[in-house]
Formats: sequence, structure tokens, C-alpha cells
Amino acid sequence: MFLTRSEYDRGVNTFSPEGRLFQVEYAIEAIKLGSTVIGICTSEGVVLVVEKRITSPLMEPSTIEKIAEVDRHIGVACSGLTADSKTLIDRARLECQNHWFTYNEKMTVESVSQAVSNLAIKFGDSDDDEGAMSRPFGVALLFAGVDEKGPQLYHMDPSGTYVQYDAKAIGSGSEGAQQTLVEMYNKSMTLKEAVKTSLTILKQVMEEKLNSTNVEVSIVTPKDNFHMYSKEEVEEAIKDVA
Amino acid sequence: MAMSLMRPGGFSYSELANAGPVQHHFSPYTDNGGSIVAVAGKGFALIASDTRLSTGYSILTRDQPKLYDLNSNTVLGCSGCWCDVLSETRLIEARMKLYKHEHQKEMSPGAVAQMLATILYSRRFFPYYVSNVVAGLDANGQGVVYSYDPVGHCDQNLFHAGGSSGALLQPLLDNQIGLLNMEIKPTEPLTLERAKGIIKDVFISAAERDIYTGDGILLKIITKDGITQESMKLRHD
Repeated sequence: MFLTRSEYDRGVNTFSPEGRLFQVEYAIEAIKLGSTVIGICTSEGVVLVVEKRITSPLMEPSTIEKIAEVDRHIGVACSGLTADSKTLIDRARLECQNHWFTYNEKMTVESVSQAVSNLAIKFGDSDDDEGAMSRPFGVALLFAGVDEKGPQLYHMDPSGTYVQYDAKAIGSGSEGAQQTLVEMYNKSMTLKEAVKTSLTILKQVMEEKLNSTNVEVSIVTPKDNFHMYSKEEVEEAIKDVA
Repeated sequence: MAMSLMRPGGFSYSELANAGPVQHHFSPYTDNGGSIVAVAGKGFALIASDTRLSTGYSILTRDQPKLYDLNSNTVLGCSGCWCDVLSETRLIEARMKLYKHEHQKEMSPGAVAQMLATILYSRRFFPYYVSNVVAGLDANGQGVVYSYDPVGHCDQNLFHAGGSSGALLQPLLDNQIGLLNMEIKPTEPLTLERAKGIIKDVFISAAERDIYTGDGILLKIITKDGITQESMKLRHD
């Protein structure tokens, strides 16, 4: 009598008898509705590309911000409920500044992922816990950054699990994109090749044609830190993609 | 004639009222003396303290160094109010363990230096009464020395003298290592052996004039191979 899913998908902190937390699993499903995000890590730096869904010609595309700067050396891209991502990005920024204030050094990408994951799993805590969410966050994040270990790419999902990747795709086109990444990625890729590869894959999984308003590109390099591509730079990058 | 009101203890209330202001003292600090000297060079850092712990004209012990190995490339020197030294160094130790677990790496001397500044400033209105000197090797293998005021102002230097003989020894170091106002300057950079010699000499000088510095010194040598130590006897009076 306890085997039906509906019995155990109400509370966010009740395990089902099979040992599952359905709300967390549903949140992970929510990511698959989000727009596609691809990140590739090379020895020269990390690239993040995202698809922006322009659902109406009356929409102002520049107000859809799916890539954000966390600190000078770290950027983050999100897929899923983007409103939820703002809270997580705010935390990431706060943790980076706190770390700099206390230790006078850049926070590592792994530590930022860890700090944000602490917030991501604070759902369903007691009501008096200020700032805790009543449900899991409906976003997945790709942290791209350069720290003392070099360029790094981390993926974090709504369960708070974070894993380092060489290349990772999230969002609606992630299944196909991830497969193509496995085929196309190699460790000796240059950053320029990575930008091209990621845009090529994004093109394959996007319904619309690539242009400078419906994609966002950013790179993080040891020399120039986080850099968001301007409209012109995006156009230039798209030209390379057949 | 009205009798003045008497309290059971025999004082009259009017007497108490006319007793004038009473000043209450709260003196939570004591100065247990001790001196720290640190020198940074190319590929090494040295830090030394004396081993005397005293209060007023009394010596509490002749064998208490004031150096703390924080990790394989950072040493902290603390002298002043001994109870504050104990409390502060244990807090630093705990914070460094937490950092190591949180970030999966050892703290660099720069990170320790900044953390100590924030710890000291967090007690801005009830400070640790301690002279702090941090010595270590940075990521490039160069020696670094950081010195502090009691409320967390942090200075990065090439050499520093702190503690009870700080004011006595700093000008000596300025002359011998900083080479300030020197007409003829040596061409080769400071070697580890020369730095060691200077440190031992300045402690001998301090022990002559400062009753809070003496008995012996402990000297820690930080190089890329780790931390080694030496000790030397000072005046025992």
C-alpha cells in the first residue's frame, strides 16, 4: 500500500520505501525543460555557451541572462527555472567575496560549488531557518573558472551533487549534446576549437538558427579571467560554425 | 534632633552617600614579555623567539618558546599576554583545520596572514594583547614575513622584531638587514647563514637590556624542504 509514488512525492524530506526523494527527482526533471547549456574545459580556459529562447519578437533578448559572473575568475551558466538560479548565484558571489575578505585569495571552483551545494540542499528545513527553500531549486549550474589547479568545469544539479567535467551539457538538448561531446572532446583541444565545438553542438540541438541574439557565449581564461562575448564577438564565433 | 538612619552594618546612609565616587577596576591583561624576530630571504624564512616567560620581576619559566608551526611552510610567533597567546593560537589551529577540510588544501602563508588580521579585528574592542609575526614561504618559494598591531593591521615585511624588545631590535634590523642609511652596501643578497647570525646577535643584545627577554632562543628555519629548528642559550639572570 506504500508503493504508489503519489504517497511519497508530497514531502520534500520523506524518503520513499525504495529510498528515493521524489521532489528532488522531479526537480532534476525540470532541468530537462530548460534551455540547453554546454560547457567545455580546455587547458587554455573554459567556455560556456547557452541557448536563449526568444519566445516573442517583442521580447528584449538582452534581459535573458543565463550566464553570470560569480567572481573575476569564475562564471556560471544555468538551465531550468532561472529565477531560482539568482539565489544560488547570489550565494556563490557572496561566498567568493567572503573568502577573499578572510583569506585574501581567489576561491577555488570546487569550493564555490561546495558552498552553493550547501544552499541547494537546505530545502525543507524548519520554517524558522531564514532563507531556506520549501522545495529543491529547479536549476542545474555549470561553474566555469580558473584557479590554482588551472581551468575547471563543475556541474551541480538540484540534489546538490557536484561533479567535475571535461565537457558537460545540461537542459533540453543535453542528452544528444552530451553524446556528441563524448565523441568530439579531446584533452588537447584549444579554447578556440572548444568555442567552435560547443556552438556546433548547440546548433544541432537548437530549433532556431544560431544568431547573436539567441546564444550567449563566455570564456574564462587564466589571463583575462571571466569574459562575456559581445554581440560582435558572438557573430564572429558563429561565422566559424558551418 | 532627628536620628540619622542606621543600616544593620552600622553605616549611616548619609555616610555612604557622602563617600564620593568609587572607581572600579577591570584589568584583564597581563604582560608576560617575550620577543620575536623574523627575517625573510630568497628561498627561506627565519623566525625566532626567546624562551623566557615572566610576570613583573618574576620569571615563570625559562623554557617556553613562543613559536607555533602552523603547517609545513608557515610559523607563527606570539608574545604578550600568555593567556591570550594560548587562546589565539588554538583558535588559529582550529580555523586552519576547518579550512583544510573545506578546501582540501593547506593554507598559504598569505591566507593565514589575512585570516589572522580578520580574527584580530573581530576583537577590535577587547583585543588579544599579543604581538604576532607570521613567517613562511609563498607559492614561489620566497620568504615572507607579516607583522600585526593588536587589532589586526597587517604589514608584509622582509624582517620584523616584535614583543617586549621589538622597539629595541627593529632599528638594529633596519640597519643590518634593511641597510638603511648605509654608505657602502653589500652586493650579494642576504644569505640564510648571515640572517641566522644577525638573529642570534640581536637576541644577545636584547637580553642585555630587556629583563623580559632572555634564557634562550628557539629559531625555526623554513625552506622548501620543511621546517628545521635550532636553539641557543641566552643570559640566565
